[in-house]
Amino acid sequence: MLAELKELWRYRELLLVMVQRDLKIRYKNSALGFLWSFLNPLLTVGVMTFVYSNFIFQKQPNMAAYIMAAYLPFMFFQMCLLDSAQSIIVALPLIKKIYFPREILPLAAVLSNFVNFLFALAIFFAYLLINYALHPGSFPIQPTVVILPLLILISFCLSLGASFIVSALNTFYEDIKYIVGVVLYLLFFLSPVVYFDETVANSHLNQNSGWLAYKIYNLNPIAQLCTAYKKAVLAPYDPRVMAPAGASPDEIVRVGAIPLSWKYLAITGVTSFLVLYLGYTLFNRLKWRFVERP
Amino acid sequence: MSGNGLIDIKELRKEFNLSTSGAASIKTALLWWKRRNMVHLQVLKGISFQVHPGECVAVIGKNGAGKSTLLSLLARVYKPTSGKIDIKGRIAPLLELGAGFHPDLTGIENIYFNGVILGLTREEMKARTDKIVEFSEIGDHINAPTRTYSSGMLARLGFSVAVHVDADILLVDEVLAVGDYDFERKCYAKIDEFRANGGTILFVSHQMDAVRRVADRCIWLKDGEIHRVGPPDQVIGEYEGRDLAPESG
Repeated sequence: MLAELKELWRYRELLLVMVQRDLKIRYKNSALGFLWSFLNPLLTVGVMTFVYSNFIFQKQPNMAAYIMAAYLPFMFFQMCLLDSAQSIIVALPLIKKIYFPREILPLAAVLSNFVNFLFALAIFFAYLLINYALHPGSFPIQPTVVILPLLILISFCLSLGASFIVSALNTFYEDIKYIVGVVLYLLFFLSPVVYFDETVANSHLNQNSGWLAYKIYNLNPIAQLCTAYKKAVLAPYDPRVMAPAGASPDEIVRVGAIPLSWKYLAITGVTSFLVLYLGYTLFNRLKWRFVERP
Repeated sequence: MSGNGLIDIKELRKEFNLSTSGAASIKTALLWWKRRNMVHLQVLKGISFQVHPGECVAVIGKNGAGKSTLLSLLARVYKPTSGKIDIKGRIAPLLELGAGFHPDLTGIENIYFNGVILGLTREEMKARTDKIVEFSEIGDHINAPTRTYSSGMLARLGFSVAVHVDADILLVDEVLAVGDYDFERKCYAKIDEFRANGGTILFVSHQMDAVRRVADRCIWLKDGEIHRVGPPDQVIGEYEGRDLAPESG
């Protein structure tokens, strides 16, 4: 693996140009240009906020921020997988003619999405600050925001590792990309994007199973990352706000706000690095067969 | 290009497993008995030769003799099944019809991208862009997306990039007929210049005139093995006369 990394470093210029090219192509043929990359999440978050703040979490202030905090990293993971799945097949005419480290293709797809992700995060923070300026209250950004770089690193490793696996396998079995689409769709519901991990903790399923459901739920690295982004940046969500007027909150709600769990975050971190390591190993084993695929 | 491009091939073998069932899917993998349709193909059966610095070697042979596979192995697109390839110097494969071009990028952007793939830095490419544009004779069109280019323009642009990256070794697969008569002459002039500077060339062609014109040595590949090696005139003479003999191919 060390030799492969060295070779990759030798081709860093190509990687850079490839990322530039990706970003350029994506926005070149559209009048609104770079805006498109944010219009989609903006609309999605807008609709989700409308539905969930009006129909479900009616008493939770600033629901949009909670949704965004989890949806942006989720979207980053999703886009990485969908883009990189096709990255090698699309470049097949090129890699049949010329040598360069094949891992540059999924890596460039992940990196250009990473640039988008960072922009999206910047917009997210701008939104928080503007919202604070318009409706002054308690400051929305928590001090735990300092661990954000760590969360971003974990997200990046997980996305890259999964992208290596998906791009390598999709080259041989083109049904992989459909499977990935379905899995991502299901993963969205299994991750606390439009709800909270406290919601899971308070569920009958969890209470009756002696917290087993919550434990299993948090082993999913995507779910744990969504939770961690929310808890690191924003004020804790307290399920007690959901109690109906007149009722004593403690009768309805068994578990209050759950702080960021270092244990689950550590598990997620280790899982992500493992996915990256295994993904890259798998990719390196298969990469010479891309051009010879049946 | 300072006369240090060297190719040394020893006992090179390449085998392919081809599936006759077409596109890959999980279904075909699950139906394991489909595996019986796999065809084991020996394309190169252990060939050894050297190309010396400054030499121009042509490879000729029938379709399916393994010529293009040989070039692909040299370009490191395939990994040899066994055997060894030693290459000294930078290698530039001449891509057919701008295989490395992205249709949505302009000519300039594609030049830049292609050069970096061939191993130059962005700085080095910046210094060369003007020369490449001038050689390609594409003119103002260079700022238009390459999807608007004709196949002749793509080939000209591809050739221009490949000969301007200061490679030590040029791999050419049947692309010398890239444009009109004038441009073809210009290509040959450029190749002569490349050789005069000590550049090494390995090329594959069915055009015996081209082989006679530029090659120092000719290798005749037949069914994955080297059939004849020698001066172009002699080997081509035998090659063209093969139809007369009952068993040759």
